[in-house]
Amino acid sequence: MLGLLVLTPILAGVIAYLLDNRASKLILYIFQFLYAGLAFFIFLNVKENGPIVWNVGGYTDGLALSLYADAISIFMVLMTAVFYIAFLIYATRETYFKGRFYFLFMTLQGLMMGLFLSSDLFNIFVFLEVSTVVVAILIMYNKEKQAIYDGMIYFFVNVIGTAFLLFGIGMLYRTFGLLDIRAIKESMTLLDGPRAVVLPYGMMMVTVSLKTAVTPLFSWLPKAHGTPSAPPVVSAVLSGLYIKSGVYMFIRFNDMFSPVIDMHVFFFWIGFFTSLVGFIMALGQKDIKLILAYHTVSQIGLIMMGLNMASEIAFWGAVYHIFNHAIFKSTLFLTAGMIYDEYGTRNVYKIRGLFKRMPWVAVATTFAILGITGAPFFNGSISKYMIAHGTYDYGVTLLLNIINLGTMMSFIKYSTMLFGNNPKEGHAKTDRFALVASVSMGIASFFTGIFGEALTQFLFNYEVHVNVEEYIQKGMVYVLMIVAGIAFYHGIVKHGGLITRIGHLELTFNGIITAMAGYFIVIVTYLSLII
Amino acid sequence: MKPLDFITGEIVGILLFFIGLYGLMTKKTIVKTIMSMSIMESGIFLFYITINYTSGSVPPIGQDLSGVNYVDPVPSALMITAIVIGIGVTAIGLTMFMHYKQKHGITHWSRNRNQTGSEH
Repeated sequence: MLGLLVLTPILAGVIAYLLDNRASKLILYIFQFLYAGLAFFIFLNVKENGPIVWNVGGYTDGLALSLYADAISIFMVLMTAVFYIAFLIYATRETYFKGRFYFLFMTLQGLMMGLFLSSDLFNIFVFLEVSTVVVAILIMYNKEKQAIYDGMIYFFVNVIGTAFLLFGIGMLYRTFGLLDIRAIKESMTLLDGPRAVVLPYGMMMVTVSLKTAVTPLFSWLPKAHGTPSAPPVVSAVLSGLYIKSGVYMFIRFNDMFSPVIDMHVFFFWIGFFTSLVGFIMALGQKDIKLILAYHTVSQIGLIMMGLNMASEIAFWGAVYHIFNHAIFKSTLFLTAGMIYDEYGTRNVYKIRGLFKRMPWVAVATTFAILGITGAPFFNGSISKYMIAHGTYDYGVTLLLNIINLGTMMSFIKYSTMLFGNNPKEGHAKTDRFALVASVSMGIASFFTGIFGEALTQFLFNYEVHVNVEEYIQKGMVYVLMIVAGIAFYHGIVKHGGLITRIGHLELTFNGIITAMAGYFIVIVTYLSLII
Repeated sequence: MKPLDFITGEIVGILLFFIGLYGLMTKKTIVKTIMSMSIMESGIFLFYITINYTSGSVPPIGQDLSGVNYVDPVPSALMITAIVIGIGVTAIGLTMFMHYKQKHGITHWSRNRNQTGSEH
């Protein structure tokens, strides 16, 4: 049953590629709806009866290659399957939406499912490597000079990162003679001390941190997600869904090492710095795609903070934020694609009057912006509320508020596009399919906020009660934040200077690899100090 | 213990891995990057196939295994997959590089991203 989830998208892609005519689009839509239905069915099944294991070839569990679905993994699968419907609808009329693209796009879906479901370390390596290839080809799909350069950086950096994972797996196999995540977790408890797994932990965390793009390893992300000529759908998939596979692996691997290694303090601070650096660099950009790409870095940092607070509510808040971030960041990338197609520029200072020129696109963008900044009643507010509840420490609350302020500032800059005068007369012609997809995703960010309590209960079996008084208080803080954000924007950000210069700092290819080696050394040193 | 006993497959594998990493950190030519990547991967392959090897053990294929030490076949099987993937990755890397060089004549990693190119 679980094998179908991984295999069928690839098969559907192949069939659509071979047909390559009008019927193939129809086949893809029908398939995707059925597929989301299947994912939902398995989701309900897991919710009712607990985790499902699927062993290949009937070998005993732990030795066989296996797919494993528990609450988190099946949730990621469901999320990916549902979002792909919106992406396919968005792309219906686009020029690049042809045979080769179907194949790569659907294959990527299958590979992501494999990453979410696989319980075998070596299979995870294979899925990572193959998905790197697919993503690199999707990035350079238009064969433009900048896109090829960015795609090459993405490709080489990630292949080298995955080599670290392979080496780490080898060391683990040397110690345990096992490759199954759950089996290794069980045998971890039999170790005399954590010394034997320090090196493999370091190696594997380098790969995972590279995939999640935390400081200092995020330099490839803006290149890959914000490359000018990549189709908007590709950017949306990368920023909304694919980056989450890294976060997911972080959860899985940390859970695997949890009997002997606890690094949550380290990764909490890494998450904070990632968030800080992410929004500071986002402030320095003027290309709308790059603003969004750097902002993904910042939000991933927030998710990492939530995951590493060592409290249950913050953990589930972070998982819910994975879902919310997928909604609003996909919406923003999709609408950004329509905006720069219409205006012919990506410069945030040159695009004005979106509400007059493209009203519905502007509405979708507004919903997404309200979601990402955590406005009351929108989804971002619920997950940020949950993350903020993970701590009673004023210092940590302050850190979270700094990040919120940063988010606010960069999106006030982004939302200047919405207002102002219409550059031309009348409304722009927009593609109806693309519009429906992005507006429905925008509205989803409102409904997932209103029904936040019910959704967390339904998706994760985790009950959260939003305290009304506190929520109103947060709403007032939100208004204050807007005022402060506007003041900062007009006072500092608009004039550029230092902040623009910071925004243009970036590592070269050799710099990224050196950062990777340095990160590895830091993790191993830190670990040897605390154990 | 003779000094040569230190030179086991695992140690050499680890050394090769870090030599490859050094090449990646310092060389700015794209071809050298691809070569360093291959060196790094060979190090990993060597590490895997010598995991827990004791001298005198036999491969577990086509012979009577009673009473003899035989090698763990799993790492070798994994490495067949990994080598195939490695070849594929190297080929794709070289293809990208050749395309890039022939179209735009660039052979080195540049210092900075071409910011002017992002204006559509």
